[in-house]
This record gives sequence, C-alpha cells and structure tokens, in this order.
Amino acid sequence: MDQHLISWIVFLPMIAGIVLLFVPRELVKWVALFGSGLAFVLSLLLFKTFWGGDAAAIFGDTYGTLHHVERASWITGNKFNIEYFVGLDGLSFPLFILTTFVSLLACLASFNFDSWKINKGIKAYFFLFLLLETGMLGVFVSLDFFLFYVFWEVMLLPMYFLIGVWGGERREYAAIKFFIFTLAGSVLMLVGLVAMFFYSADAVAEYPEIATSYHTGAPLTTGTFDLIELATNDAIQKYFGAASTTLLNVRFAPLMFMFLFIGFAIKLPCVPVHTWLPDAHVQAPTPISMILAGVLLKMGGYGFLRLCYGIFPVGGEFWAGFLAVIAVISILYGALCAMAQDDFKKLVAYSSVSHMGYVLLGVCVMTTTGFQGAMFQMIAHGISSPMCFFLVGVIYDRAHHRQINKFGGLWLSMPRYGSMATLGFFASLGLPGLCGFVGEAYVLLGTFQAGPKFDWAYTAAICAAFGVVLTAGYILWVIQRVYLGSVREEYKGFPEANGREMLILAPLGALCILLGVLPKQTVFDFMNGTLNLLVDQMNAVTQVAMAATGG
Amino acid sequence: MTELIAEIPTWSPNAAEFLTFSPELAWVGTLCLIMLAPLAIGRDARMTAGLAMVGIAVTAFFTFKVMGIVSTEGPKTGLTPNLAGGMLIADNLSLFFKVLLLAFLIGVSVLWMSVSAAKEDDAPEFFVLLIGSALGMSLMVSTHNILMMMVAIEFASLPSYAIVGFNKHKRIAAEASLKYMIFGAVSAAIMLYGASLIYGFFGTLDVTLIASNVGPVLAAGGANRLLIGLAMFCVFAGIAFKISAVPFHFWCPDAFQGAKTEVTAWLSVASKAAGLLLLMRLANVFCQNAGAEVLRGVAIVIAVVATLTCTIGNLAAYKQTSIKRMLAYSSIAHAGYMMAAAAILVDAGTVESFTAISAVLAYVVVYMLMNLGAFGVVALVESRNGEDDSITAFAGLGWKSPALAIPMLFCLVSLVGIPPFAGFITKWYLLAALGEAASGLYWALAIVIVINTLISLWYYMRVVVQMFLKESDTPAADVPMSGTLLVNVCGILLIVLLVLSNPLKERADRYSAGLFSPVVAGLAAQPDEESLARSNDPVGGEPVAKDAQGG
Repeated sequence: MDQHLISWIVFLPMIAGIVLLFVPRELVKWVALFGSGLAFVLSLLLFKTFWGGDAAAIFGDTYGTLHHVERASWITGNKFNIEYFVGLDGLSFPLFILTTFVSLLACLASFNFDSWKINKGIKAYFFLFLLLETGMLGVFVSLDFFLFYVFWEVMLLPMYFLIGVWGGERREYAAIKFFIFTLAGSVLMLVGLVAMFFYSADAVAEYPEIATSYHTGAPLTTGTFDLIELATNDAIQKYFGAASTTLLNVRFAPLMFMFLFIGFAIKLPCVPVHTWLPDAHVQAPTPISMILAGVLLKMGGYGFLRLCYGIFPVGGEFWAGFLAVIAVISILYGALCAMAQDDFKKLVAYSSVSHMGYVLLGVCVMTTTGFQGAMFQMIAHGISSPMCFFLVGVIYDRAHHRQINKFGGLWLSMPRYGSMATLGFFASLGLPGLCGFVGEAYVLLGTFQAGPKFDWAYTAAICAAFGVVLTAGYILWVIQRVYLGSVREEYKGFPEANGREMLILAPLGALCILLGVLPKQTVFDFMNGTLNLLVDQMNAVTQVAMAATGG
Repeated sequence: MTELIAEIPTWSPNAAEFLTFSPELAWVGTLCLIMLAPLAIGRDARMTAGLAMVGIAVTAFFTFKVMGIVSTEGPKTGLTPNLAGGMLIADNLSLFFKVLLLAFLIGVSVLWMSVSAAKEDDAPEFFVLLIGSALGMSLMVSTHNILMMMVAIEFASLPSYAIVGFNKHKRIAAEASLKYMIFGAVSAAIMLYGASLIYGFFGTLDVTLIASNVGPVLAAGGANRLLIGLAMFCVFAGIAFKISAVPFHFWCPDAFQGAKTEVTAWLSVASKAAGLLLLMRLANVFCQNAGAEVLRGVAIVIAVVATLTCTIGNLAAYKQTSIKRMLAYSSIAHAGYMMAAAAILVDAGTVESFTAISAVLAYVVVYMLMNLGAFGVVALVESRNGEDDSITAFAGLGWKSPALAIPMLFCLVSLVGIPPFAGFITKWYLLAALGEAASGLYWALAIVIVINTLISLWYYMRVVVQMFLKESDTPAADVPMSGTLLVNVCGILLIVLLVLSNPLKERADRYSAGLFSPVVAGLAAQPDEESLARSNDPVGGEPVAKDAQGG
C-alpha cells in the first residue's frame, strides 16, 4: 500500500466510480463521497514525507528529487519506452492535496443532486465526476510526458458531459466550446510530444559524454519522455537550448515553448484564449464550477512550471516580454470585465481570469520570488474561488437567478452565510491577512526583482499593481449590492445556510485565513525547496545557452 | 507482353507453391460452395451464413498455416517464377491483412445476421459478393506487379459495385451502385492507360524493375520526364480511387449512403485498407530501388494528396445530415492520415519505412474496430426506426439505449483520436513515424494531422450531442442481442488496446519488419538463406526490431 500510495489515491476515485454503477440509486452519492473522501484521507498521509525537516532532506539538492516514485514500462515497441511513471515533488504535492480536497468538497456540494433542475442520471453524474478526479490527480503526478498527455485528455470527456448534460440554459454551447478550446491547445502539445522525444534522441547522440541520466547514472542512449530527464539531462538541455537546433527552420526552444504554452494558456486561461471560461463556468453546475476554478485552471500554471520553464527555459527567456504583456492584459481586462458583469457567477469567472493573470506574470519574469508567488497564487485561488462559486451556488439554489442588481441585504436574512461570503470575497480581493494577498504581493515583488534583467519589468509590475485596485473595486461593489443594504421583500424568508453548506464553507473559510496568516508554514515550506532548485537549474541552462550564442 | 507470355509455359507449380496460396484457393472454394449450396439445401439465410463461416474457418486455418511457413522460411513468391518478384507474394504484410479481413468478415456477417438476415431473400448472392470482394482485396495486397494489381482491383471492385446496389427496391441504392461503377470504370481505364505507358517505357510491369530503371530512363532524355510522371500518376489514380483519396473520392459518400450499413462498414474499412496497403507495398518496393531525386517528387505528390484528403474529408463532413455520409467523409479523412505514412516510405530510409508500415498496420486494426462499432450502431439504430439515417435519429439514444450509445461514444471519440481510446495511440504511432523521418515535409504533415484532429472533433461531437444532450420522445425499442454484443466488444477493445497496447504494437512491428526481405534490387530471385538473413535484420541492425522478430 505504502509503495503504491499514489496509484491508489489516483485510481481510487475511478474504482469508486465503477462500484457505484452497481449499487442502488440512493446509495450512489455515499459511494462517491466515500471514494473521494478516502482519496483525500490517503493523500493526507503524504504529509509525512513533506512535513518538517530541513528543505535539503526533503527536496534534495537538484531539481528532480522525487518521492513516492512508481515507474514501470508501459508501451515499448520500436524504440519507445513509454512508462507509467508517477511521483511527487514540491511542485506537484501542494496541487495534489488541493485536488483531493476540492474534489471532496465538490462531491459534498453535489449532494443536493435530486433538487437540481436536471436530475436525471445520478449514477452517470457521479461516475463522470470521479473519473474527472482521477484524470486531474493523474495529471499532477505524471512525470512521463506521454502519461501526462493521456491523463490531460482523459479529463476532457467527463468535463464535457458534466457541463453539457447537467449545466444551465446554454450548456450545449458551453460544453463544446470548452472541448474545442482545450483540444486546440493539446493538439500542438501532441506535436511537441513527438518532437521532444526525437530531438532528445538526437541530443544524446550528439553529446553522449554529458548525457548522464539522473535516474540510472549511466549515459542515456535513447530519446525519452521522462519530464525530469528532459529538464535535467545536460546533453538534452544543451541541444534543446542551442541556437542551431531548429524545427521547420525555427529555433527549437522558442517554438516548442510556444507549442506547449498555447495548450497551458488556454487552460489557465489568459486573454485572448479565455473566452471558453466564462461560458463553461456560468453553465456548469456549482460543484463542477468549483472543480473548474479550483483545480482545472491550475493545470495551466503547473504545466508552465513543469514543462515550459522546466524543459525550455531558453524559450521562456525568448518570450518573456510577450508573456508579460499577455499577463498584464489578462489581469486588467479580466478585472474590468468582472466589474461590468450583471451575472454573479460570470463575475466570479472573470475574476479568475484576472487572478490567473498574476500566475502568468509571476512565472514569466523567471525569478524565485515570482515562481513562489505564482504557485502560492494558484493554491490560494484554488481555495478562494471554489468558495466564491459555492457561495454563488447557495443563493442560486434559493433565488433561482444570479442577477446581481436584483439582490440586496442578504446578510441580514442569512447572517452566517453572509459572514462566510464576505470572508470568501475578501480573500479573493487579496486583503492582507487572507490568502489572496500573499500570492499577489510575491508576484509583484518578483516582477520588480526582474528589473535588472528585463527592462519592461517595472512597467509590468506597476500596471499589474493597478489590477489590485480594480479587484477591490468590483468585489466591494458586488458585496455592497448583494449582501449589504436593506432586505428586499422577496428574499426575506430565505433559509440560512444549512449544515451541509456550512460544512463546505467552513474549511474553505478557515484555510483562507490560515494561508493568509501562516503562508510559510502552510504552503511555502512544502514547495519552496523544489522551486528554488528549478530556478537554479533554469538559470544554469540559460547562462550556458547565452554563453554559446555569445561565443 | 510477348516475353511474359512466352515464358509462362515453363511454369509448373508444385504442392508447396499451391500451399503458399491455399488461403486464396480456400476462398475460391467457399465461393463455389455458397453458389452451389442453394441447389441442395435451399436459400435459407442462416444456413448460408453458417456455410460462409465454415469457409472462413477453413481459410483461416490455411492462412495461419502459411503464416507458420512464412515465419520460419521467409516470404514466398510464386505462380510466375520468371519475374523477379513473382506475380503473387505471400509475406507478413499480405498474411496480416488476410487475417484482418477474416476477422472483419466475421464481424460484418454477425452484423448482417442481426439486422438484415430476417428480411433477406438473396443471402447466397450476398455472401458470394462479399467473399468475392474479400478475395479481390487480399490479392491486391499480395502483389507488386501492375498487371496483377489491376486484375485484383477489378476483382475487388466488381462485387463491390453489385453489393452496394443490393437494396434492390431502393432507388438510392441503384443510384449509388451506378455512380460507384462509373467512377470505378473511369479510374480503371485511367490506370490501364498509365500501365500501358509504363510498359512502353520499361518493358515490364514489375514495380521492382520499373523502380530501378526509372533513374536511368529519366537520365537518358528529357522528353520522357513528363510522360513517365503522368503514367505513374495514372496508376496511382487507380489506387487512389480504392482509397477514395481526394480528388477521386466523389463516389464514396454516395455509395456509402446508398448501400446497406453493414456493406458500408465493409467497404469503409476493407476496400480502403486494401488500397492503402497496396500503396504502401508499392511505395516500399519503389523506395528500395529508385533513385533519390525521383523519390522526393513522388513523396511530395503523396504528401499533398494526403493533406488534401484529410482536410477536405473533415471539412465536408461538417455539413452532413446523414450519419452514413458523415462517416463516409470521416473515412476519407482517415485514409488521408494513413496516406501520410506512405509519403514517408517513399522518401525516407529503411528505419522510418519500418516505423511507418508498422504504424499503418496498427492504425488499420484499430480503424476496423472503430468503424465496425460505429457502423454497427448505425445499422442497429436504423433497423429499429425504419432506415432513417439522419443524425437526429440518434436523439436521446444515450438515455434510452445506453448499450448502443456508449460503444458509439467510444468509437466516435476514438475516431477523433483522443485518449483514453486506441484511436489515440495509433494516431500517435503515425505522428511518431512522421517525427522519426525528421524532415520539414513530415513535420508539416504532422501539424496537418493534428489540426485535422481538431476539425474532426466538431462533427463527431454532433452525434454525441444528439445521443446524450438531446431528448426524444420515441420509446426505446428492442435491438438484437448479437449486434449489441458486437458493438460493445468493439467499444471495450478500444479501451483495452490503449491500456495494453503492447501486443498490438509488437505484432505490427513484427509484420512490417518482415516486409523488407522479399524484394531486392536485382533481377534474380535470392537464395533462401539470404532472404532469411534479411528478414531477421530488416532495419539495418536495429536492436528493437530484432527483438520483435524474435518474439
């Protein structure tokens, strides 16, 4: 069990999903809760590995120190060696825990399934839900690019159906839009997958003397899908970064970086490929919105760190200015769109675009602080945005509409709920002391630090900082319109948040505070080790590449 | 032709030679038996199907026997020993295809039994035509002599024309049959014209000899260049008609719509696969014997046709309202993907050729499962709602008959080519073969294929939308057990072949590795020891290939 702990956690939801197909209808949701609950509890066991101790002991002294590794040959055949290779490091561990946690809460949020407008096919719903969870967990633990890609795509179909069957009025449109956008991103990734394999084979043939594998200690002789190998093998990095390595007459590293970036940017999402998100979020049922915002968007950020910057730092340097422009536009445009919304859920959706812009800004400046801020921002947003979506869901269940301007004074009729709502939205706003603040502050700090390297960094930081003001604007305004003021007649009799709803809101609210007050102990301690090593590795590679170009 | 005719009298086949071609003889025997049986046992559909199954079993027995011989003694050529390659070849490729055809015949027969047998009066004729076209197709894959090729194509086509019009009482079927026949006749005439030109230039119809002479003949004089190109393109046109490559694809949607669905399933896979494998064989033979400057031109022609075929196929599928027409265009697109691999064969060296053939073999197997499953569901749905083949006939199927809708979903998503279905892994093999060939042309083809994947998503999902996202008030009807079982087996195999894809890949590697032995640059037949050595070392000392051969 301990040896295969990760595999158990990843596939347990799917097993539960298959089991629930064969139980009576009224037991279905309990089986689902058991499956995702057990996955969460088991994932807590992983803290044993990452808790306390000194960073060097946990995260090692090079990027690619992994824990709970399982690797076995999967598809071999002519020259390929595709592996089932999973493991955790500081990059994936926090997101892995976040996934099991948000999935459990979303499962709990689905418990009122029978009272939904569309409540047919409860078995199909929970089966797809659990399949989605397996896909998400798989993405974060896969360290073989091929396996990563398979898990990445496995999520598509369940998500399509979850939005398309159980969504709102325009569910069909939203679901296919989600599908097409995501697939559009991943087809280029597929070309990247092929190219990286064959170019890594060329690399180890070109520089056999420095092709020592981190894994076996012997020189690598074939191409590889191993994401850590691709990032840390000197021969591969030298070849990938070299200006003379080209594909279709374009320099390899920037091209590959872009191929991968497009896929992750769509998932993140950033302007201008964000348009699927407001549709998908608004049409999806509440628990699925929670998953979308809490976990799916994080895959974009995770992909940046693990693949784009881990393997093609030279490409990252090449595109940095361009990415910063996109990031700043996402932050400002997302916030302005949020301000203009009349639909409560759409407002939260656009706020995600804005918040995810900080993630992109944090990574594109390629500083340690920026990376830490981006990661923290992902975790913090993974807590606060599911909370916001659930808060919107709670009033939608009661009022059956989401028009911000039709609400008012809800705090008076639902005091407990109102307090939680204020907490959640303030966390999203980035109030100091709550989780949203730390990430944004680190990202801005990291961007300023990049000033000596990139001459646009100060401008970018100043523009992005202006986004904080806009965020405060739309959030305070929405709180005022929905929760403050005098009680409207039609909302007087609204029942207070019930036990189940509080059970979901309380842990999220507690984490909002905890992450804000103790960011080091709750998040940074678990990831900084790996992030520092990744940045060191990245700097080493870019310096080598720069020296080669200069000489 | 005088040399050829003059030498035939010296031919005296022995028992071993007859054994090599016993599968074909068994097929001929089955044909005669089914034709004569009605005189003794009447025209009962079940009896006829039973007889056909016996014939298939006997053919399978001989096929496996020959397979054993070929695997120990190397490929056999035969029937006209005076030509370098022989008129017919029994090697791994042709035997692989025969096994595939036999399996597919069983699948189609099961489908026919469950949807058409009850109302069919002309069962013997149906099976004669079906097995007759199978015989023609298996001959197509067993030759690289243009004369034999033309005979085989006609042998495969004539029964196909008739079987498309087998719905005798329907106007649309007669029209389809006529269109198919006119197109077939015209392309046969074009091919014949090309063949006569080629014979005029080279004095032979054996592709091995043509390939080795094409360089010298071109070098001799400039006037021939255009004519030789034209002649080759004319022969290519005949094959392209069978593959339904653009611009020879116009018959395909009409014929597929007019034919009975099980016949459509048969033609969409068997006839196209035969054409493709014939093209692969010719390309393979050609590339081993012709000079580089000729090859590059041929590769570009095939690459352009492949690009046009998949793009136009996918774009035209968008607007179809009949599911059979839509799947017809989808089959055109898939033929385009597979043709891309033929371009590699022509242009690249042996290692890439090996990967390319292996990729196509794996693709054909999975493509058979996907199309059998998809057309199977179409046939079953049609059979219960009065032959309505519009896409809207699928409305609400997912909730009424999940046992049909779920395998349909698997097949369609697999046709798109995304995980977790086998269609993804075979598309990946194709892309990997293109990547391995490592030149700009193939990277461009790879990008064309992935973009087409994205385009195709839209129309496949239209069916999924109907099945799961739309409602319908027509009640669920009974569907035959055997047909339901068949499509579910196809659907499940698609997942199994992704998770456990090694056996498929190993076999594809092994059967394609053997392809490099029979044909050699030279005139005389090689001694057995030498050809054996070649078959054991097909790709220039590639270690994995050796393993595949040994395993």
